Amino acid sequence: MKPRSIGQLALLYLSLFTLMLLAMGVYFWHEIGQTHLQLQEQAARTARVEVAEAMEALGKQTRALGENLAAWDETKQQLVFPEYYALWRDNRVRDSGLLPPGVTAVALYDKAGNLLIDSAGGVTPMPRHLPSPPPATLLKNEAKRSYLYDFLPVYADPGHSVLLGYLGLKTPLREALAHIRAYRYANLDSLEMTLPAQATVDISHAMEVLLVNARPSPEQKELQRLLQHSVARLSLAVLLGLLLAAWWLNRLMVRPLRRLSAEIDALDDPDGDLHAQRLDLQPLRVQELENVRRSFNDYQNRLAELHRNLEQNSRDFFDQARRDALTGAFNRRAFEEDWRGLGQSGRHEELALILFDCDHFKAINDTYGHNVGDAVIATIAQRLQHALRTDDRLYRIGGDEFATLISKTDTLHAQTVAERCLEQVMSHDFHAYGLTEPVTISIGVALILSETSGSERITLSELQKRADLAMYAAKRPGGQKIVFYSPQTEDMKSLVANSAINAVFQAIQNPELIEMAYQAVVRLPLLRHEYSEALARIRFNDTLVQAEAIFPIVQARNLDAEFDLAVIRAIRRDCDTGRLPEGKGVSINISGPGIVNARVIDALLTLLATEPNRKIVVEITETALITQMDTASQNIQRLRAAGALAALDDFGSGYSSLRYLASMPVDLVKFDISMVQLLETGLPRQQLIVQEIAYMVITAGYELVAEGIESASLLDKIVRLGFSHAQGYYFGQPGETPEHVCEGPLSALTAVSHAQPGDIAPGTPLS
Amino acid sequence: MLVTFFSLLSCGLAAQAVEVSRVLPNGLVAQAEFRRGAADKPVVVLLHGFLQTHHFPTIHNLTENLADEGYSVLAPTLSLNTPNRSKSMACEALHSHTVKSGVTELGVWVKWLKAQGYRQIVLSGHSLGNVINVAYLLNRPDPAIRKFIGISIMEARLKMPENERQALLQQLQSKVATGDRRMVETPFSFCQKFRSTPESVLSYMAWGPQHILDGIANIRVPTTMIMGSRDDRLGPEWAARLQATHARVIIVEGANHFMDGQYEFDLFEHMRTELKGL
Repeated sequence: MKPRSIGQLALLYLSLFTLMLLAMGVYFWHEIGQTHLQLQEQAARTARVEVAEAMEALGKQTRALGENLAAWDETKQQLVFPEYYALWRDNRVRDSGLLPPGVTAVALYDKAGNLLIDSAGGVTPMPRHLPSPPPATLLKNEAKRSYLYDFLPVYADPGHSVLLGYLGLKTPLREALAHIRAYRYANLDSLEMTLPAQATVDISHAMEVLLVNARPSPEQKELQRLLQHSVARLSLAVLLGLLLAAWWLNRLMVRPLRRLSAEIDALDDPDGDLHAQRLDLQPLRVQELENVRRSFNDYQNRLAELHRNLEQNSRDFFDQARRDALTGAFNRRAFEEDWRGLGQSGRHEELALILFDCDHFKAINDTYGHNVGDAVIATIAQRLQHALRTDDRLYRIGGDEFATLISKTDTLHAQTVAERCLEQVMSHDFHAYGLTEPVTISIGVALILSETSGSERITLSELQKRADLAMYAAKRPGGQKIVFYSPQTEDMKSLVANSAINAVFQAIQNPELIEMAYQAVVRLPLLRHEYSEALARIRFNDTLVQAEAIFPIVQARNLDAEFDLAVIRAIRRDCDTGRLPEGKGVSINISGPGIVNARVIDALLTLLATEPNRKIVVEITETALITQMDTASQNIQRLRAAGALAALDDFGSGYSSLRYLASMPVDLVKFDISMVQLLETGLPRQQLIVQEIAYMVITAGYELVAEGIESASLLDKIVRLGFSHAQGYYFGQPGETPEHVCEGPLSALTAVSHAQPGDIAPGTPLS
Repeated sequence: MLVTFFSLLSCGLAAQAVEVSRVLPNGLVAQAEFRRGAADKPVVVLLHGFLQTHHFPTIHNLTENLADEGYSVLAPTLSLNTPNRSKSMACEALHSHTVKSGVTELGVWVKWLKAQGYRQIVLSGHSLGNVINVAYLLNRPDPAIRKFIGISIMEARLKMPENERQALLQQLQSKVATGDRRMVETPFSFCQKFRSTPESVLSYMAWGPQHILDGIANIRVPTTMIMGSRDDRLGPEWAARLQATHARVIIVEGANHFMDGQYEFDLFEHMRTELKGL
C-alpha cells in the first residue's frame, strides 16, 4: 500500500471525523424528528385516551346530573302538569342550576317516548321520539356538529316504581367535553365524528367514531427546535473545533512533519541545497517532534559538515584530478576540459596554443633515474609557469610535454611568451641534479588570430594539429627550438598523420612491412663498395613511408628500441632471403635507447653470430642523446667483440658529440651531412672547423665517413681530408639491394681518383 | 297507598319513622312521615310552612320530640302539584297550587289517620301551614279533630306598599276572572319573585291577618296559638289580636318565628302541655 502523507492522513482523519459528526448530526436530527413524530403519535394516542376518559366522565356526569334533573320535583311536576312546560324548559331548568354544563336543549317525553309538547311542524332541537329506550347516552351528528344526547326516565317516586316519562338532554359534544376536563393533548377543535347523518351511536362506542388530533404542543415543538438547534449548534461548534484542531494539528504536527519530510526528501535531491532548506530552528511545540527536529537538525548539521567536507574534498579531488601531482601544473584532463570549454564557448579568437616538449627527456630519465627526471620535469614546469602570466594555465599533457593557452594574444605576444619560456628553462642550471648535459625544450606555437587580422579562420582542432606540427618541426635536430606554425611545417604532417603512426606501430608488430633501402658506403679513395647502410622504410597500404616520417614518430612515441628490433629482424630477413647477398656488409642504425637496450643488443649479437662472414656496422645515432654512456660503451664493446664495427652516426648535428666521441668505443665516425656540405657551401671558417675536426677525428684513430656526397668536388674534398668512407647520392640512390644501388655511380668515380687521402693539411682552405 | 320504610332506628325505643304516601284526588302522590305512638295518645298532624316539607327543622324536631313522648305524629309534605314532592319548592318554581288544594290534601291525610284508627287528631302547623289548617277547620272538619295548635301563625302577603298591593291584587283578580293562567311573579311571602298562577297567589293572599283572625275565631275546636316573642312578622300587636279571639295564645319568650335552638324545647314543652289536656 502506498504510504500517505501526514497531511493526507490528517485530512482523511478530519474528513472521516467530520463525516461521522455530520452523520451523527443528521442521525440526531432525524432521531429528534422521529422522537417528535413518536411524541406526536403518543400525544395522539394520549389525546384519544384523554377524550375517551372525558367521554366516560361526560357520560357519567351527564347521567348523574341528568338523574338529578330527572329527580327534580319540578321536572316531575311538568310531566304531570305540563301546562307550563315551555316555561319550565326554557327558564326553570336553566335557572335551577341542575342542568349539566353545556346542555343546549332539554326535553321531556311522555311514557310513550313522544315529545311532551311538540310544536307541530316546527323545528325542534330535540328528537320528537326517543331514538332508543332510556336510559341511553347517544352521539349524533347534526348540521356538521356532534351532539351528545342523554335520555333518562323520570320516576315519580324514589323507588322508581312510578314512571312519569323521560328527560332528554342535548349537549354539543365538543363543548361538553371542554367542560368536563382540561386537555393537555387532545385538540378538541379537531374533534370529528365519523357518523352518518341521523345515525346514532352509544357513548360506549364513542371512540370508534371519534377522531381527534393531538393538540399542537408548543413546548414539544419548542423542545424539538431547541434540540435540533442544539444539535446544529453543537455540530457547528464541533466542526469549528475540528477546523481549529486541524489548523492546530497542521501547525503543530503536519507542517513540521512535512517540512521534516521535505528536508529528508531533499537529501535525495542531488541538486538540493542542503543549507537553504534547513528546518526552522524555532522549537516545535510537540515534544516528540521537537526531539525529532533537534535530532534531525543535529543530523543536518553533521551532514552539512560532512557535505562541506565532501565538497571540499570534491573540490580537492576535482583540483587534484586536474592537477599534475609532480609539477602542480594542470594535467591533461584539465587541458581537455578547458579545450572543450573553449570549443563550447566559441571564445577562440586571438588564441595561441603553445606546446613545450623536453628534449631527450627519456634518455635523461633512463640515464639519471626517475628522481632526476621528475626533478627536471618539475623544474621545467616551475620555470614555464614563472614565465607565463598569472592567469595563464600551464598543462602537463604528457610525460615531458607541456602546453599553455594564451588568450587575447597575437603573434608577437606569443613569440615573446615562447621566448621567455625557453629562456627560463635554458637559463636554469640543471647541474644541481647531476646532469652534465644542458636541458633543452622544443616549443611549437600555433595561433588563431582575429578575423580583422586577415588571417584565415581555423578551428580549435586545426589549431592543435598546427601546434603539433610546429612542435615536431622544433624537435628536428639542428632546427629552431621555437617554431611557429607556417605552411612549411606542413611537411611534418606525416608525423601526425594517423596512417604514418599506424604504419610505425604495424611495422614494429610485423617487420615484413619494413622495406630496407640499402645505400652504398664506399671505401676511399678506392671507391670500393665496402658495405651498405640499411635505411628503413615502411610499406603500408601500398604507400611507402620514408625515414623522415618514421623516426620523428619513433622518437616522439619512444619506440626507438622496438623499432630497432624490427629493423634488425628486417635485415635478418633480407639476409635470409638473399636480398642482402652473402658477404655484403651492412650498416645498421641503432638508436640511443636501442644501444642500451638488452634485447636490441641480444638481437645484434644473434645477427653477428648467424652472419659471421658479413661485415656488420652498428651506427649509433648521435641525435639520440646517449645518457647511459657506460652501458652504451659496454654494449658497444660487446658488439665489437662479437665482430661488429661501431660507428657514431650524425656526428656534428648534436651538441656534445666530442664528449661522446671521446667516450664511445667506436670504429667509425660519420660526419653529419650538414657538416659535410659545409665543405662546399660553408664559410671558410666553417670549412676550416670541419677540416680541423676531421683531422682531429682521424688523428684520434677513427675512420671517418662522410654522408651526403652528391658531387665529385665534394668527394674530392673529403678524400683529400682523409675520410675513409663516403656515401651519398653521388654514388647512387639507395636501393632494395646493395648491388643495384652501387652499380651506376661507381663507374664515374674514376674522375676523382686522383685525389689522395690526406692531401689537405689541417688549416688549408678547400677550394 | 305506598308505604316505604326508610329507617328503622331501634324497635320499641321510639316510634318508627314511616314514609307514607297517598294518591291525591288529582292523581298526584303525596308523602308524609308518620310516627306511630301510643294508642292512648292522640295523633298530631304537623303541617309545614309555605313551600317547605316535613323535613323543615321546626317540624322535624317537633316530630321527633313528640314521637319520643309517645305521641303518634303525621308530618305530611304538601304536594304543591308536584308528584312525590320531597323537597322544598323554590320561589321561582311554577306554582299552581292553592290553599284549597292544600286543604284537600290535609283532608286526605286526616281521612287516612282515621283509617288508621285514630279518633283523636290534633292539627298543628308552622307558619303559613296554619292557614291550611284554619281553612280546613273552617270547612267541615272531621269530628276526630280535637285540637288545633298553631305555631307562629302568620299571613302570606305581598311585600309592597298597600296601594300597589291593592293594584296588583286587582290585576290578579282580573286575570283569574278572565281565565288568564299565565305565570306571574310577585314579591310574595318570603319570595322576592314568587312565580305562580294568579289563582295560586291570590288563594294565599286571601288569607290576610284579619281573615286569619276571623277564621280562628270561627274554629270550633280548642285552639292554641304558640308565638315567639320575637316573631314580629305581623307586628307586635299580632299576639294581642290573636288573644282577642277565643284561641289560647302562648308566647315563648325570646323565640323567633322558627322557634329553633333552645326554644324548640320550650315549644315542645308547650306542645306537651297542650296535648296533655286531651
